[in-house]
Amino acid sequence: MTGGLRRPGVASWAVGLLIFGLLVSSSVPGPVLAQMVAPVAPAVPTRYIEPPVLAERVAKGELPPVEERLPKTPAVARMDQPGMTPGRHGGTLTMLMASTRDTRQMVVYGYARLVGYDRDFHLVPDILEDVEVKEGRIFTFRLRPGHRWSDGAPFTTEDFRYYWEDVANNEALSPTGPPKVMMVDGEPPKVEILDETTIRYSWSKPNADFLPALAGALPLYIYRPSHYLKQFHADYADPETLAAKVAESGQRNWAALHNRLDNLDKNDNPDLPTLQPWKLTTKPPSQRFVFARNPYYHRVDPQGRQLPYIDRVVFHIADSGIIPAKTGAGESDLQARYLRFDNYTFLKEGEERGNYTVRLWRSGTGSEFTLYPNLNVEDRQWRALLRDVRFRRALSLAINRREINQVIFYGLATEGGNTVLEESPLYRREYRTAWAAFDLDQANALLDEIGLTERDDDGIRLMPDGRPLDIIVETAGQVPAEADILELIRDSWQEIGIRLYTKPLQREVFRNRIFAGETVMSVWSGLENGLPTPDMVPWELAPTRQEQLQWPQWGQYVETGGAAGEPIDMPGPRRLKRLLEDWRGAEGRTERAAIWDRMLRINAEQVFTIGTVAGVPQPVVVSNRLRNLPEEAVWAWDPGAHFGVYRADTFWLSEADATAAEAAAR
Amino acid sequence: MFGYVVHRLFIMIPTLFVISVLTFLIIQAPPGDYLSTYIAELQSQGEAVDPAKIAYLRQQYGLDRPFHEQYIRWIAALLQGDMGYSFEHGMPVNQVVGDRLLLTVIVSAATILFIWVVSFPIGIYSATHQYSLGDYGLTFLGYLGLATPNFLLALVLLYFANVYFGISIGGLMDPVYIDAPWSWAKIRSVLEHLWIPVIVIGTSGTAGMIRRLRANLLDELQKQYVVTGRAKGLPPGRLLIKYPLRMALNPFVADIGALLPEVVSGAVIVSVVLSLPTTGPMLLDALRSQDMYLAGSFLMFLALLTVVGLFLSDLALAALDPRIRLGGTAAR
Repeated sequence: MTGGLRRPGVASWAVGLLIFGLLVSSSVPGPVLAQMVAPVAPAVPTRYIEPPVLAERVAKGELPPVEERLPKTPAVARMDQPGMTPGRHGGTLTMLMASTRDTRQMVVYGYARLVGYDRDFHLVPDILEDVEVKEGRIFTFRLRPGHRWSDGAPFTTEDFRYYWEDVANNEALSPTGPPKVMMVDGEPPKVEILDETTIRYSWSKPNADFLPALAGALPLYIYRPSHYLKQFHADYADPETLAAKVAESGQRNWAALHNRLDNLDKNDNPDLPTLQPWKLTTKPPSQRFVFARNPYYHRVDPQGRQLPYIDRVVFHIADSGIIPAKTGAGESDLQARYLRFDNYTFLKEGEERGNYTVRLWRSGTGSEFTLYPNLNVEDRQWRALLRDVRFRRALSLAINRREINQVIFYGLATEGGNTVLEESPLYRREYRTAWAAFDLDQANALLDEIGLTERDDDGIRLMPDGRPLDIIVETAGQVPAEADILELIRDSWQEIGIRLYTKPLQREVFRNRIFAGETVMSVWSGLENGLPTPDMVPWELAPTRQEQLQWPQWGQYVETGGAAGEPIDMPGPRRLKRLLEDWRGAEGRTERAAIWDRMLRINAEQVFTIGTVAGVPQPVVVSNRLRNLPEEAVWAWDPGAHFGVYRADTFWLSEADATAAEAAAR
Repeated sequence: MFGYVVHRLFIMIPTLFVISVLTFLIIQAPPGDYLSTYIAELQSQGEAVDPAKIAYLRQQYGLDRPFHEQYIRWIAALLQGDMGYSFEHGMPVNQVVGDRLLLTVIVSAATILFIWVVSFPIGIYSATHQYSLGDYGLTFLGYLGLATPNFLLALVLLYFANVYFGISIGGLMDPVYIDAPWSWAKIRSVLEHLWIPVIVIGTSGTAGMIRRLRANLLDELQKQYVVTGRAKGLPPGRLLIKYPLRMALNPFVADIGALLPEVVSGAVIVSVVLSLPTTGPMLLDALRSQDMYLAGSFLMFLALLTVVGLFLSDLALAALDPRIRLGGTAAR
């Protein structure tokens, strides 16, 4: 962050995207931006402080001193957030995870990215010293000279080249070609290596997905530790040694072996060098994973202490069902994963014994519990009804959101439709409240207007062909308390002459039935990204993917470029799709914000998904020794990476008192 | 006797074959395969999955082949000692399993030993002191043990151990020994941790065994030969051990076969709760994610354990009881 950003032409929109999206409009000339950056990015300290745990190895000569391990200009952590204080080195952070696969969470929490979101969800360079974007299509990345992998090997543009030429474009390793994000309308980028620390990616059209993908919770990795992986690559390795390695590993061929070892995201190979703050040291599978500090990590605090503060992170693997119980017993120093709101009272009770505090963060999804009418349902009668906006509005109006909030969430959630959260710059109150008031009269009037006036003996309305309006809502156990919420909705829908049945299904069956059009309505959580900025892709608002439960066929059609699924034959979604295309080609933040606005408005007005409550509290159990974690924050997956944007490398453990877990060990 | 042993051994082969087919069938029975589970997991985290890549993976893993072909491949490899490839862990099953099989055997064997050692004296006492205060007390305890699901017992122990003693009882060894090579210190650490899972898993088995032994012994105690023995002046202790107890032991031994699967399957849930490094939690995970070779190999191992246990109990029975040793001939 020290270098800040160089500003190219005025036409560049992406500077707004990097740092200060809100403060700087695209018309601000360069020098002003530079001045505004200055007070935020702390100065590079003049001397660096060695973490004590490494001092011995440095003294023995096994490791070079900290000055030589850091890049020439290390990234300096911001400590200007309220409540943040520079900390001390040392300590072990214990967390509970449910499966061996969860080693990937360390990459999520560690959150060292080429560019990453800051706490205000603006993109800032992190591993990169500097990013320059021209016309939204030419991306020039400058690395930090002297940056090293966790094993001490230099991190250079060779690692980017290796990925692009020898991994992404190698047929054996990537049979489906480079990742989709890097293909703009099927066109791969031109990759130019300008020198050892500068690399440029350019497309002929803007690629708005590129930088957000690099900053994701599970990001796009466009670099690889080439010095390590070359020994497993047929183009580089000695064929005989490689064949022996393949045989020993039990893999089918070198490509499978390479792919197996090359999992920067899964983080399951302790030999793979990393750039993250902590490095896996335990070979999976295990019941306990130890992550040790990366001695070559590129960030320091303003005092010059090399980050991370905490020496070790330990994951204990326990069944997800007993993680709340174990957390309540003080066995975790920092826990939110596998904790749910209904564990709150139990956790609160154990605070003193476990020497922790339960904080309530807000969940970052657009709506905790969302009903998805399947607009692609096979049954013609149902399809006609579900595609009638009056019907969807009536269903939404007949949900008593206040009651759900009070009964299930103690009134701590926000009632309303499925839309972005208040914290987002794109939020408008009317998106949340549109068709979300509890109004049975209006709902009944709408249904009457459609012509659903016939009723059976139980007062249930009849469909035109005489079937009663029995909506079967299929669930897959994704949302906590979904059975209870559906029970409440059943009661109020009864009032408008619609009967609700619940059908819990196994997840695969659930999806396949929706994709095949057998499901009328399903339940899932709402918008994954409840905190978008105008520069994030509004893909969730338009048909883009098959797994969008309200229009799987159209999503698949768009996703596969027309190879599968059905073309969009409804005006609203078609308009959304066009707007998304406009967004990708849009120049400047204001235009993009306007398109977001229109897409949100259409979604709110058309009620394609029926939201209930948002911002449901997520319990976060924090050891009383742990510092620098915000009291109140948003718990979001992407963007957010859960603890990632709060920068786990700046968390530290005070010496004041030990946790119960450590007391237990004594 | 020789014919009996050979017969028993031969019958194991078709048994194991049928079990292997059933195992494979049941693992494959739920809709979808490992990849669809994997996709669903990625998507629930908001990740996009490229359908072309999935198709490629499916072909790489051989999941697009028909059922019988997948089965024959698996069973052929299994016969050569190769347990297949675990999709989820991305390595051969043999490497994934590691110490787990050994630890499972240790826990199961210790549990069965525990069941015997505890239930034997109590069963005899209850039977010989029928309707006494002691019998009632032990019966009550036994019913409690029988009625309490052992995972609940594990949770209760977990809670009390934590609240009153401030210790964590999960695991089978101190964390320092996890993934360490075997040493005396590690064995000692395992022994120190072993008693809790053994008690938890063994409680219901013990309770059941006490009841069975008591009922059998009571039957025998009322038979005429006992009355005769007593009338002829045999000392009570000698009488008990020499005649009715030997008869009552028969089901006791035969029960190993029934006990083994009970202990092993009951141990799955307990192991999950206590996070023991045994096969249980891994088997459960593998079944959930349809990691079929890992799950299949585990189930085959457990089946083998059970079949061998039954075989041993048959041998022990034959040694104990001449009626069985001589087969049908004595009955004629």
